[in-house]
Amino acid sequence: MFYLEGLHLKGFRNYHNQQLHFHPRLNLVIGENAQGKTNLLESIYYLSVTRSFRTNRDNELANFEDRYFYVKGNFVKDDFKHIIQLSYRLNEQLKVSVNRKQEDRFAHLQHFPVIVFSPDDLQIIKDGPAIRRRFLNLEGSRLNPLYFEDLKNYQRSLMQRNYLLKEKRNHLKIREYLEPWDYKLAELGSSIINSRLILIKALEKEARLFFDRMTGSLEELTLRYSSTVDFNNNPETTRNNFLNALSKKRDVELKKGSTMIGPHLDDLKVMINGFDSRRFSSQGQKRTAALALKMAEVSLFKLRNDESPIILLDDVFSEFDNSRKMHLLEFLKETAGQCFISTATGLNGLVENLQSDYKIITVRYGRAFDETDRFGA
Amino acid sequence: MVYPGSFKKLVEVLCRFPGVGPKTAQRLAFYLLGLSRDDVVAIARAMVEAKDKLGFCPLCGCLSELDSCSYCNDAGRDQSILLIVQEARDVLVMERTGQYRGLYHVLHGALSPLDGIGPEELKLDRLEKRIAEKEVSEVIIATNPNVEGDATAGYLARLLKPYSVRVTRIAFGLPVGGDIEYADDLTLSRALDGRREM
Ligand SMILES: [Zn+2]
Repeated sequence: MFYLEGLHLKGFRNYHNQQLHFHPRLNLVIGENAQGKTNLLESIYYLSVTRSFRTNRDNELANFEDRYFYVKGNFVKDDFKHIIQLSYRLNEQLKVSVNRKQEDRFAHLQHFPVIVFSPDDLQIIKDGPAIRRRFLNLEGSRLNPLYFEDLKNYQRSLMQRNYLLKEKRNHLKIREYLEPWDYKLAELGSSIINSRLILIKALEKEARLFFDRMTGSLEELTLRYSSTVDFNNNPETTRNNFLNALSKKRDVELKKGSTMIGPHLDDLKVMINGFDSRRFSSQGQKRTAALALKMAEVSLFKLRNDESPIILLDDVFSEFDNSRKMHLLEFLKETAGQCFISTATGLNGLVENLQSDYKIITVRYGRAFDETDRFGA
Repeated sequence: MVYPGSFKKLVEVLCRFPGVGPKTAQRLAFYLLGLSRDDVVAIARAMVEAKDKLGFCPLCGCLSELDSCSYCNDAGRDQSILLIVQEARDVLVMERTGQYRGLYHVLHGALSPLDGIGPEELKLDRLEKRIAEKEVSEVIIATNPNVEGDATAGYLARLLKPYSVRVTRIAFGLPVGGDIEYADDLTLSRALDGRREM
């Protein structure tokens, strides 16, 4: 178990100079909109992955005139303290130091894993298949390093094959040229599909548990892999089907000049009561389904690593009704390690029913106040 | 910068060697100038001689003396086994293991449409002819363990199916996505032991 004990921000977004101490389990960040709640959560995320969940540009994070920011976190892990310091200056590389020793930005990655759920995460249900494939690829690579290797090789084979379909389509021997790439694509593609099926099964189990809780088992969540390939639990069969489909599509692919079957076109269908949630669900159902996927990610992470990541729930809490809020808090208490929940409205006594030990931080005009004294720790 | 003309010329020539930059080229030039005239002539002669006498064997594609291939003409080698590699330098790596006593076949590349390499460029008809005419009973494919090497290996395995030879691929223990050139000897020995049927 690890947690963030203390945080020091200088020049980060709208924080001039802010020091805070946190509770090892539950921290509520309360404040009106645009006061700095999300910025606070963002800095915690940044501390873990040296990247923001809102922007790809570091300079957007440095919002004061001197174009400089500094984030320091004191983590506690297995009774040891770890000090992470990040400092950024305009037009310079981000400096990362771990326990006062300089470290590579990417080597530092995921020392202290964080999972964030923000309003943007609703897109995983609403958007087109690409966002869900990205989700599967990310989770798949975490689950199994060979998945990432397969994915890389698949992309390469796809490029080779598409080049032939596009540039050599009128060549007399095009079919002979395509043969080795059909085989390679089918071999890697079926391996990717097989890994995804295993992943989806594991995700579905965890997501359902969570979804059942949130909906009082009144609604049913299922995850289904939707593929351009007639797949099977036996990768060998999938591979053969893949190959057959490629030869059936030969003429169409030559006409289009690109590969039209394979996991690069597939989708993860999130179904509620048997219907595709992307098209047939309410806003509330979408939100609960998106959260269920995220919490399944947390559960799988915990199963694999035997520890919980830090969870950031940014501005999503108020969107749920009281009974769902209650279930979510219960779930977090049982499953999660340290949590940060930002909300404009407060929790109206919900937390008090559940646990007496937590911390409230209020945020106003880029300043955060520790309310521990007022509520008693 | 002022250099004597022939010094400049020498440095420029040395710079063309792979992995040699201007600094190293200067060091090499000074080294050569420090040698006796006879030594310098011997070095130059060795280069010309190598260029004149060496080439790729028309049968197996290995680097060899032009008049006689030291692999094909070695009676002590097992004529019934053929090891297929991508590059001539891979043969030298295989030889270092001291484990392999069969013959070689160098493809001089791997299938890669993006690089303009298809079956014709690999002159696979030459390989087929060799297998059809000689008494080859086993073919070991040792193309690089990356997408292009694998695609080539698969293609070869299917191509050679009609010839009733045992076709295997070395696979075990090679770093994924790497080049055979960089694998250490022990890894390669293990890879040879762990080859699998295709
Ligand atoms: Zn030869």
